[in-house]
Amino acid sequence: MAEKAVYRQKKKKIKLFDIVNYIVFILLGLIILVPIWKVVVDSLNEVGIYQFRLWPEQFTLGAYKTILEEQTLIRPFINSVVTTVVGALLGLTLSTLGGYVLIQFDMPGRGLFATFLTITMIFSGGMIPEYLVMKELGLVNNMWILVVKHGMSVYNLVLMRNFFEGIPASLYESARIDGCTPMGIFFRIVLPLSKAALASIGLMFAVGVWNDYSTVKIYITDPLQVNFQYKLMVMVADGDTPNTSYGVSQTTLHNAGIIMAILPFMMLYPFLQKYFVKGVNIGAVKE
Amino acid sequence: MFEKKKIITSTGVEVRKKPLGLRIWTNRGYYVMFLPVAIFVLILNYWPLLGVRFAFYNYKPVGEPVFNGFENFTKLFATDAFWVAFKNTLELSIMKLLITTATAVIVSIFLNEMGNLLAKKALQTIIYLPHFMSWAVVAAVASLFLSPSVTGMVNGMLRDWGILGEADKNIYFLANKDMWRPIFYIINIWKETGWGTIIFLATLSGINPELYEAADIDGATRFQKMRFITMPALANTILTVLILNLAKVLNMFESVFVLYNNAVFEVADVISTYIYRQTFAVALPNYGYSTAVGLFRSLVGCLLFVICNWLSKKVRGRGIV
Repeated sequence: MAEKAVYRQKKKKIKLFDIVNYIVFILLGLIILVPIWKVVVDSLNEVGIYQFRLWPEQFTLGAYKTILEEQTLIRPFINSVVTTVVGALLGLTLSTLGGYVLIQFDMPGRGLFATFLTITMIFSGGMIPEYLVMKELGLVNNMWILVVKHGMSVYNLVLMRNFFEGIPASLYESARIDGCTPMGIFFRIVLPLSKAALASIGLMFAVGVWNDYSTVKIYITDPLQVNFQYKLMVMVADGDTPNTSYGVSQTTLHNAGIIMAILPFMMLYPFLQKYFVKGVNIGAVKE
Repeated sequence: MFEKKKIITSTGVEVRKKPLGLRIWTNRGYYVMFLPVAIFVLILNYWPLLGVRFAFYNYKPVGEPVFNGFENFTKLFATDAFWVAFKNTLELSIMKLLITTATAVIVSIFLNEMGNLLAKKALQTIIYLPHFMSWAVVAAVASLFLSPSVTGMVNGMLRDWGILGEADKNIYFLANKDMWRPIFYIINIWKETGWGTIIFLATLSGINPELYEAADIDGATRFQKMRFITMPALANTILTVLILNLAKVLNMFESVFVLYNNAVFEVADVISTYIYRQTFAVALPNYGYSTAVGLFRSLVGCLLFVICNWLSKKVRGRGIV
């Protein structure tokens, strides 16, 4: 009997812990979601208010309409979309090619290539020498700087290489014996088997380009070439906001700008979460 | 499986006996494939290395660069603003690293205790979310919430709660030397804690459940199990995370760049933002001087890398890269 009582007591304790744990995590979830929700509500409310509301008081889509119609706002948004897509494609091309070459253990000079890439992770010229090179290339005041700068990432290339290494070597062997060229093996075997890695590393490139603010701040002053993140900072931090239409306040427009800056990835995020996270795990396997 | 590996090594040996020219010829396709990568790396990473020589030049946007030896470095070491930036970089990024790692460890331990898998998944989805927001967005949200104007939420709430009286002015949080750092750390915790849990959760899911069962039989409480099974299992991962990130402490840039302002340079300015201002926010920049600051940063970074690589080899048997 006594034993049973002890057992029961213990069970109760566990339950208490679980309840506390759930409460703590609900609070944690709220800490992350409440600020985002506040921005969403404020972006739909005609006047700027400081209180937290669950729903806008005077509902309006005016701020979003302003962003879509105002040339100085929609142009940076389009620039962001274009550079993100092109940057992700270039990034995937270079990292898959490089990663694939780095697993050719028969190839003379493979180690040299690996060192050639690794050095760049240890030592870099720094902001100013890089700026002078980009100036030479005509990429100052040019939005394609975003694509060029993010298109090559040694870190992502190594992640790709690690993933390729997991593909059974016998598959390459048999394809080679059947007379498949390196390019043929790459397109017919490696890429179809790496869809998950392509998705997650492609997303990493896309997020990198889309979210970049400082590159634009350093390299671009032409308002036709800036991206949306930069435009957002100009509006909110520097207070340089275009005239609003539809009677919405500037604060509303700022909030709507924030939502537009996170919208593309927030829409994709619930569906692609596993790919977003997988990139880390590809790296972690090799840890 | 083992046999197949053997075949590969034996062909490897066989191949190695062939003349080098033939081996290069049979692999020619791969060299072509590496070419675009090599071109990009050469232009983006190696060409700027040539520009490092300007650290020893007086190089203004107008006129030719003039060699001036170590003059940039003597000027650099005599500049207070540089040492402030150097000290801030170390303090900010090491504190940030310790704080976000600690919160990530705590959150992942408790997340691991969550029995309901669906709830766990939902929470993971939520806490990873802020990582994908840009620093520009996070800074925009922060400056809207902390704004000293009438629409600033925090000031408004302080007023509602009576902490700010009628006569008091609204607080400009991000321009306050005492408050800037705590705010910076809180924003970092908000943004990166969730993402930081991934690696710890992976370690925790690798713990043999038999250990917990054995502890249950011995009558261990939940906290005893956390203390004696979970924590030791995490120790190595924590160390790894700290070492890997220690090598990158000087890289801090964008997070500070979007949040600081000229009222808080004293506590917020870091090396990269200092370089930025010396180059792009002055009328007639000396590229040579900014390059010298960058070179100093790269060299210290290299040293940190070597130290961390050595530590990493000691602790986990392999280097950083």
